[in-house]
Amino acid sequence: MVVSLTIVFTLAFMTQFPRMKTDTNPKNMLPATSDVRVWNDEVDRTFALYEDMIVVGIANEKGVLNRETLGKISRITDDILRLKGVAAADVNSFPTITNVTSESGTLRVAPLMPHVPKTDQDVESLRKMLFENPLFINRIVSKDGKTTAIYVPLEKGANGKEVADKIREIVKREKGDERYYIAGDPVARDTFGAEMFTLMAIFAPIAGMVMLIVRYLMFRDLFLSITLMMDAVISIIWSMGVLIAAGFPIHIMSSMAPVFLMAIATDSIHIFNEFYFRYRENRDKKAAIIETMHAVGRPVRYTALATAAGFAVLLFMNIVPVRVFGGLVAFGTVTLRILSFSFIPAMFTFVKDKNIEKAARGEDISLSKASQFLKGLAGIGAHTPRATVLVGLLLFVGAIIGITNIVVNNNMVEWFKKGSDIRVADTEINRALGGTSTGYIVAISTEEDFIKNPESMRYIEGLQRHLERLAVVGKTFSVADYVKRINRVLHDDDPGFDVIPETKEAVGQYLFLFSTAAKPSDLNNVVDYPFSKANIWVQLKTWDAQAMAEVIRAADDYKKAHPTPLGIKPAGIAYFNLVWNDEVLWDMVKGFLMALIVVFAILMFNFRSFKWAVVSYVPLLFTILLIYGVVGFSGKRFDMPISVLSCLSLGMAVDFAIHFIGRFKQRLAESSTSTPHSELIIESLLWTAARPGKGIMRNAVLFAASFAVMMFAPLTPYITVGAFIVSMMMLSALMVLIYLPALIVLLQGWLFKGGLQ
Amino acid sequence: MRALSLRRAGRVALGASLGTLALAWPVAAQPSADEIMAKAHLAMYYPGEDMRARVTMRLVSRDGKERLRELTMTRRDLKEGGEQRYFIYFHRPPDVRDMTFLVWKYPGKDDDRWLYVPAIKLVRRIAASDKRSSFAGSDFSYEDVSGREPEEDTHKALREEKVGERAAFVVESVPKDPGSVDFSRKVSWIDSATWLPLKEEYYDRRGELARVFTAEELKEIQGFWTVTKRVMKNVQTGHWSESVMAEVRYNQKLSPDLFSERALRAPPAELSR
Repeated sequence: MVVSLTIVFTLAFMTQFPRMKTDTNPKNMLPATSDVRVWNDEVDRTFALYEDMIVVGIANEKGVLNRETLGKISRITDDILRLKGVAAADVNSFPTITNVTSESGTLRVAPLMPHVPKTDQDVESLRKMLFENPLFINRIVSKDGKTTAIYVPLEKGANGKEVADKIREIVKREKGDERYYIAGDPVARDTFGAEMFTLMAIFAPIAGMVMLIVRYLMFRDLFLSITLMMDAVISIIWSMGVLIAAGFPIHIMSSMAPVFLMAIATDSIHIFNEFYFRYRENRDKKAAIIETMHAVGRPVRYTALATAAGFAVLLFMNIVPVRVFGGLVAFGTVTLRILSFSFIPAMFTFVKDKNIEKAARGEDISLSKASQFLKGLAGIGAHTPRATVLVGLLLFVGAIIGITNIVVNNNMVEWFKKGSDIRVADTEINRALGGTSTGYIVAISTEEDFIKNPESMRYIEGLQRHLERLAVVGKTFSVADYVKRINRVLHDDDPGFDVIPETKEAVGQYLFLFSTAAKPSDLNNVVDYPFSKANIWVQLKTWDAQAMAEVIRAADDYKKAHPTPLGIKPAGIAYFNLVWNDEVLWDMVKGFLMALIVVFAILMFNFRSFKWAVVSYVPLLFTILLIYGVVGFSGKRFDMPISVLSCLSLGMAVDFAIHFIGRFKQRLAESSTSTPHSELIIESLLWTAARPGKGIMRNAVLFAASFAVMMFAPLTPYITVGAFIVSMMMLSALMVLIYLPALIVLLQGWLFKGGLQ
Repeated sequence: MRALSLRRAGRVALGASLGTLALAWPVAAQPSADEIMAKAHLAMYYPGEDMRARVTMRLVSRDGKERLRELTMTRRDLKEGGEQRYFIYFHRPPDVRDMTFLVWKYPGKDDDRWLYVPAIKLVRRIAASDKRSSFAGSDFSYEDVSGREPEEDTHKALREEKVGERAAFVVESVPKDPGSVDFSRKVSWIDSATWLPLKEEYYDRRGELARVFTAEELKEIQGFWTVTKRVMKNVQTGHWSESVMAEVRYNQKLSPDLFSERALRAPPAELSR
C-alpha cells in the first residue's frame, strides 16, 4: 500500500519535469530590483553601455605590428562583427577604434586602421599613430607591441559562452605564431553556468552509484541498498517536482540540491544499522522492524528536524536563489523522513528472511572489527578525558589563529582551474594590457554642462591619475582624455597642448567637434546627455571583488583631499561583483548565526536539557572551527562557495551528536533508573560507540563518499564543496566518538545532577 | 568612377527631364530601378539652384534624454547632380554658437571640409574619408545629409507599395564596394509622385535591420517638394534623431563668397541671427 502510494506520488511529481526552466546567470542571485542592479542599469542607459564585454587578446612574440598579424586582426574583427549577439557598432579593435590625428594640418577623426597596411611604411605610420595616442596604450596595444585586444560588447541577453565559442572557431581558422586569448566576465560566467549543469548531471548519478556500491559493501544486500537509493531518488523527484510546479527556474544553487538530498538520505542508514542488530538478537523480522523504529525513531526525527531547520534558515536570506535552495532542501529532508518512517519499513517486509540473516551476521558488537575499533576510539575519550580535552583546547587555539588569517574575497575567474583556457586567457591579457574586468566611477553633478568646466575636467583627470597608482588598475579613460587629445591635435600635435583647455567654450566646442566625426558611442560612453555626469572607465587587472573595493576607497580618498561639487559613485560589472559578493557572504554569515541558534534550540528541545544541548553542541562547533582554521592557514580565501557551505554544515553535522547522545541516554535508562555511576556511564558510552556508533560511522563514510566524487570536478568550487563536506563529515563523526565520551565523563557530576533527565 | 562621370551627367540630365515628365503624367511607363534612384537623388538633394533653411535637430537617447542642435544650412549647386557647396552655421547648443562648417562636395571623390573653432579662433581642415560617420552627433550620417551617389550601389526594383496614402516604388540597393560602408543593403520607398524617399531601411553586415529613415512631413515650397521633417532611428541601440527644417527658401542667388574659408571666421550677419 505504502509503496504503491509512494510510486503514484512520485509519478505525479515527475509530470512536472518537462516544464523545467533553467537560469545560469549569477547576476540573478540579486533581484532585478536590488539597488546595485537598478543603479547599474541606469548607468548603462545613461552612458549607452553594455553590461557584458568579451576581451579577445591576440599575442605575437615578434610583435603584432606586421602585415600578416594585422591582416589576421582585421579578418577576425570583421568576422566578429557578423556574429549574432555582438553589439557590432561598438566593437573596438584596430580596424574600428576611433583615432584622432592631425596630418599635415588636417584633422582626422576616423577608425585607426580602416585597411590593412600594404607596405612596411604603412605599418610604421600605424605604429606611430598607436603609440602617440595615450588612449590606445594598454587598451588595444601593450607597451611592448606584442599584444593587442579586441573588445566585444554583447547585446542584452546574449550568451557569453556561445559568442566566445564562435570567436574560438573564428580564430582557429587563422594559422601562424599568434596566440589567442578569450576572456571577460560573460565568458567565465556563462561557461561556469553551463558547466555547472553538466557537472550536476554527471556528478549526481555518480555520487548515487558510489553510495550504492559503498552501501552494498556495508550490508551485502542489493535489494536494501537499492531501497535506500530509491528513498533518496524519490525525495529528489518530489522536491524538484514541487520547485518546477511552483514555477521557479533551476538556478545554479538549486542544481546542487540532488547531491545534498542524496547525502542527507544517508541518515536512514541508522534505521538499517539498528534493524540488523535487532534482527540478530531475536530473529523476528516484524518485531525487529517495530523495535527499531521505536529505538531510532526519536533521534532520526530530530536529526531530520535539525537538518531541515539548518536549510530552512536560508528562507530568511535576502538572496532569492539561496532562499529557493533552502526551501527545496528543507522540503526534501522532510520528505526523506516521511519516507524513512513509511516507505523503508514497508520495503523491509519484502526482504526474504534469509537475506537479512546473511547481512545481519556481521552485526555483532563483539565480533565486528569496525565496532571494536569504534569502541577503541570512544575509549580514548572515556578513559583519558583530560588529555583529550587538552589536545582539543590546543587545536582550538590553533584553529582560532587560522581563522584570523582568513581573507574574504571572491573571484569568479578563479573558479576555474589554473591551467584552464579561461584562467590562462585572463592572466595573459591582464599581464599585457589594462585588464579584462571593468568598473566605472561616475562623476555626478546636478547642473547641466557642469562636466564641460575645465575644473571638472581637471578633477576627473587628477582622479584618473590617482586611481592608476593602484596596482590593480591597468588603465583608465574618460572624457578628459578625448578633450586633451583634441586640444593637442588641433594645435598641430604640439605636446604642450596635451592639457585641458582654459575655457568651458573650448571644451564644449572640442566635444562637439569630436561628436561630429566619431562613433556616437565614443562620447556617449563617457558623458551623459546634459553633460552633468561623466563616466570614468577603470580597467582592472583582476576579477577579485576586493580590487573594486580598493578603487572605491582610493576615489573616496581623492575626493576628501580635493573637495569638489562633483559627487562620485561606483558602477559596472566589477562593482556588481563586489556588492554581490558582500551580500552573499554576509547573508551567509547571518544564516550561519541563525542556524547556530536554531540548531541549539532544537537540541534543547530534543534533550529537554540545556546541559545536554551544550555538550552535544561542542563537537559540532569544534568541527567547524577546525575546518575554518585550516581554511585560514591554507590561504584559501573565504569565498562564496565556502560561505554557503558553512551555513549548511551546521544542520548536517549536528546529526551525529543527536544520535549518539540520544542512544546513550536510552541505554543508560534501560540499565538503571537511579543516578548512574561512572562505570556504568563508561560502559554505556562504549556500547553506544560500538553499536549506534557504527551507524554514525557508516553515515559519515557514505556521506563523504558521495561528496568525494566532487573533488575530481574541473571547477574549483566543486572541489571546495567536496573537500569541505568530506572533511566535515569525517571530523564531526570523530569528534562525536572521541569528544562526547570525554566530555560526558568529565562533566558527569554536572550532567547527571538531577538524575537522568 | 571618373570615367563614368560624363555618362552619368547625361543620364542625370535624362533623369531630370523624365522626372518632369513623370510629374506631369504620373505612371506613364514603368521606370527602372536605376532611374528611380537617380530621380530620388535629385529630388532630395538638388532641388533649386541654391537653398537655405533653419534646421533644428533633436538627438534622443534610448532612455529619452535629448540634445538639441540648431543650425542654419545653406547649399549652392555648381552643377545639377554634380558638385555642391554647403555652409553651416551653428546656433545651438550655446557653447558652439559661431561655429561654422564648410563642405565642398565633389562627385566621385572625397569632400573638402573645413571647421571654424571660435574658442581658439582657428580654422581646421577636416579629413572626410568616412562619409558614414555621424553628422553633428546625430543618427544622420554625412551621406544622409548631403546624399549618396546612386552610382555607388546596384539597384533592384522590388515592388510597388503604399506608404500611408502615397504610392511608392520599393527599391533595394546593394553597395558595389561592401567594405566602404556600414550597411550591406538598403531598401528605399520612393514616392512615385514627388520622387522623395518616404522610408529607408538600412541593414547591417549581418543582414539585420540597423537604421530606419522616415520622411515625416512633406511640403511643397516654391514648387519644390521638400522633406521638412525627417527621423532616423537606430533600431539596435534605440537612439534616434529628428531633423526639422524651417524657413526653407530656394533660389536665393546666394553669393559664391559665402562658401569660402574667409566666411567661416566672419559669417554674414543674416545667417547668424
